[in-house]
Amino acid sequence: MRRIWAVARNTIRQALRMKVAAAFIVLLLILLPILVLTITGDGTLKGRLQTFVSYGISLTSLLLSFLTIIVSIYTITSDIEHRQIYTVITKPNRRSHLNLGKLLGVVTLDVALLTLFAGIIYGAAVLMPRFVKASPQELEEIDRQFYTARTSLVPPEIDVREEVEALYQKLEKNDQLQQVYPNYPKPEILKQLTNQKRLEKRAAPVGQRLLWEFKNVRPLDANQSLFIRFKYDVSVTPPDEQVYGDWYIGDLRQLGTGPETATPVFRATRKDAARKFQEIEVPGSAVTADGYLAVGFINPPLNETVVIFPLEDGLEVLYKADTFTGNFIRAAILILLRLIFLACLGSLAGSFLSFPVAILFCLVIFLTGTVSGFVMESFGLLSQNIGVIYTYTVKGLVQLLPQFDKHNPTTFLVPARLISWAYVGKVALFMVGLRAFVLLVFALIIFSFRELARVIV
Amino acid sequence: MESYAVETIGLTKVFSDWWGRTKVYAVDDLNLQIRHNEVFGLLGPNGSGKTTTLKMLLGLLHPTKGHALLLGGDGTNPKINARIGFLPEESYLYRFLNARETLDFYGRLFGLTREVRQMRIEALLEMVGLKAVASRPVGTYSKGMARRIGLAQALINDPDLLILDEPTTGLDPIGTRQIKDLVLKLAERGKTILLCSHLLADVEDVCHRIAILYGGKVQAQGRVKDLLQQTDKRQIMTDAVSDDAVERIKSILRDEGVKFEVSSPMERLETFFIHTVAEAQQQAKPTSGAVSTTQIGDFLTAGAQKGSVLDKLVGAPDAEPATAAPQTENVAETEVPKRGADKNLLRELTKSAPASTEQTARTEAPRTEPVETKGQADSRQVQKKVLDDLLERPTTQERDRQGERKEGDPGHA
Repeated sequence: MRRIWAVARNTIRQALRMKVAAAFIVLLLILLPILVLTITGDGTLKGRLQTFVSYGISLTSLLLSFLTIIVSIYTITSDIEHRQIYTVITKPNRRSHLNLGKLLGVVTLDVALLTLFAGIIYGAAVLMPRFVKASPQELEEIDRQFYTARTSLVPPEIDVREEVEALYQKLEKNDQLQQVYPNYPKPEILKQLTNQKRLEKRAAPVGQRLLWEFKNVRPLDANQSLFIRFKYDVSVTPPDEQVYGDWYIGDLRQLGTGPETATPVFRATRKDAARKFQEIEVPGSAVTADGYLAVGFINPPLNETVVIFPLEDGLEVLYKADTFTGNFIRAAILILLRLIFLACLGSLAGSFLSFPVAILFCLVIFLTGTVSGFVMESFGLLSQNIGVIYTYTVKGLVQLLPQFDKHNPTTFLVPARLISWAYVGKVALFMVGLRAFVLLVFALIIFSFRELARVIV
Repeated sequence: MESYAVETIGLTKVFSDWWGRTKVYAVDDLNLQIRHNEVFGLLGPNGSGKTTTLKMLLGLLHPTKGHALLLGGDGTNPKINARIGFLPEESYLYRFLNARETLDFYGRLFGLTREVRQMRIEALLEMVGLKAVASRPVGTYSKGMARRIGLAQALINDPDLLILDEPTTGLDPIGTRQIKDLVLKLAERGKTILLCSHLLADVEDVCHRIAILYGGKVQAQGRVKDLLQQTDKRQIMTDAVSDDAVERIKSILRDEGVKFEVSSPMERLETFFIHTVAEAQQQAKPTSGAVSTTQIGDFLTAGAQKGSVLDKLVGAPDAEPATAAPQTENVAETEVPKRGADKNLLRELTKSAPASTEQTARTEAPRTEPVETKGQADSRQVQKKVLDDLLERPTTQERDRQGERKEGDPGHA
């Protein structure tokens, strides 16, 4: 271990004396304060904080990702190119020790830099309200909706398989399949029909209502508020883009039992902008002792349009489950997991490719990983006619993609959504324990068996 | 214990092109055996396969065929690596580290404790003359200085086997001399040294045995003396003698019917240079480069008892700076016994000296060697005796006897 650490120390020194590393560090040290001073968001304090944290975390994550890729590749390829490896590898170290030492050095550097920059962002986010003019209401709002970590409950999926099958049969019987879905394979048609049916279940025509029921709602404190976070979509956009809604929140099963209810039921009539996230705050007492909560929505006639709640993020219930600090630390850990993956990827690329080729290779993987959802969906669509080949070749490789977009910490921090330790553990397991580990094993194998010198005759 | 310090069995390296087609044999069926405590020279012109051989020995290249063993094991085995010091053909060091950090890094790679590291780093910096510039990044060093720090890193683990690839490249004559002295001293301490070079003088001065490579194959191999000694010629070296004595010797040689030449020896430029710089150093002239020292790291001589005869012998530079040391110690080692015999012969020859006016034949350019006083020669004989005992080589007396037997051979004039 001492020898691995010796290599790691040297790698850190090497990285710090690289001009590109210094440039990235200086860039972040300049950009973060500029962000603090210039960002205004939507004009509110909450918007400003959300935008700053979003930009700050994204910028730090992006630049540290680039830095990790560059350093992890350079430290190996440079040693081979400039032949320092001759004097290092001929010492009593296995090649794997050298590789692991380099990796440890890069990760240690990442931890140090991430701690520094995350600390700056955290400090700025916490101190910002002191230097901004804000009303007490605004301060209270950010306290409840930003400086917190709220767990999220989304409505359970409704089983629509029977309805979808019936609809498919009907279309087939009426010879409408080719008209509606020309040249579509059956699985794709079924998938589209399923989405269509699910969306129907989340659409409220004028005068109609929707009801969602949640179980196991366990707020950290019964006196804390709950938040119904929603986003309207509409079939016809109103002239002022405003949508009316009547909301009923609580144990709605009591409504038929008389005026006295065991737990309060709250009603809110609102007008909100379409296609933007909104939140309704409700006292925690709306939840029953056994953790039941129902949310009802009525589309009033004023709207003159069907109101739809999108499938992915149309509606969720948020309530405080942890502190902002704890959530921020876990967000930083998510970034670190991404950096560890990239360090292993760089280690692999550097073990058999030259510096520029390895950089290109890693950047392609990195950028693909940041849009992994789109890539996986695209591959899925394109490969429908070559299903078997795809399953046994490309699919495996696509599954190895890191899915950075899926685990983006800003999507949690901005809406103050909880990043649970279980979630962090799951990401660590799949991104580092599985994907990065596979890359590292390949890197060690390749590096152990390759020739490190060239024949010169 | 392993039978050889270095052994290659049918070692072959084929350089192929991108398509896998054989392009050239870099090393071809190389069989080497290097014994322990031996200084072995691997010679050859550029591209002869010397460095490729070393790279295969150390596991940096995979042999196409054959095996290479270092200290009885594989060159990639950490246990074997722990006993090896390696100086590549150029000092491939981390440019951003300074000399002290460089040695500390390599010391850590050997798992040395902090105390041992610090002690050795200071000793080595002193030894290679870089203590004054130890805090400068090695990227700012001259080639010679980089070579010195490269040598220091190769010695940080007090290796049993030292592999030096072109160790004197880029070094000034003093540095070259120091490295040669160091190699000799390490050899005296029981180290095995594999020296790879195309600078023939370096190899000739320090190596016990050599192999000459060409085209990846061994063209000649054996003891330096056996390969270089011209048994059909004799050389007599004396103090200044009178013209009359010279004429009498010439007369005798003419009577013998052999070709001969008489000349005064010239000092070698290397010796002259070393003397000149040593004088400048004594006057404490400032320099931003490496400082020549005569010390050898204590830890490298840890096996010897302080104050032993051997210590005094290898510590000789304490009294006489290495920079001004006699040029060809090992040549002196072989010449000393003959010199005694030759002086007797001279006396014999000059007893009766008939005048002669015959011209001497000059068939080749004069080969010159430094003239040594009798006192120096005697001292060397004492040193040689101790070294011979240690290395279990035939003593000078035994060689004298052999020499005397050869003197009786009428074929030697």
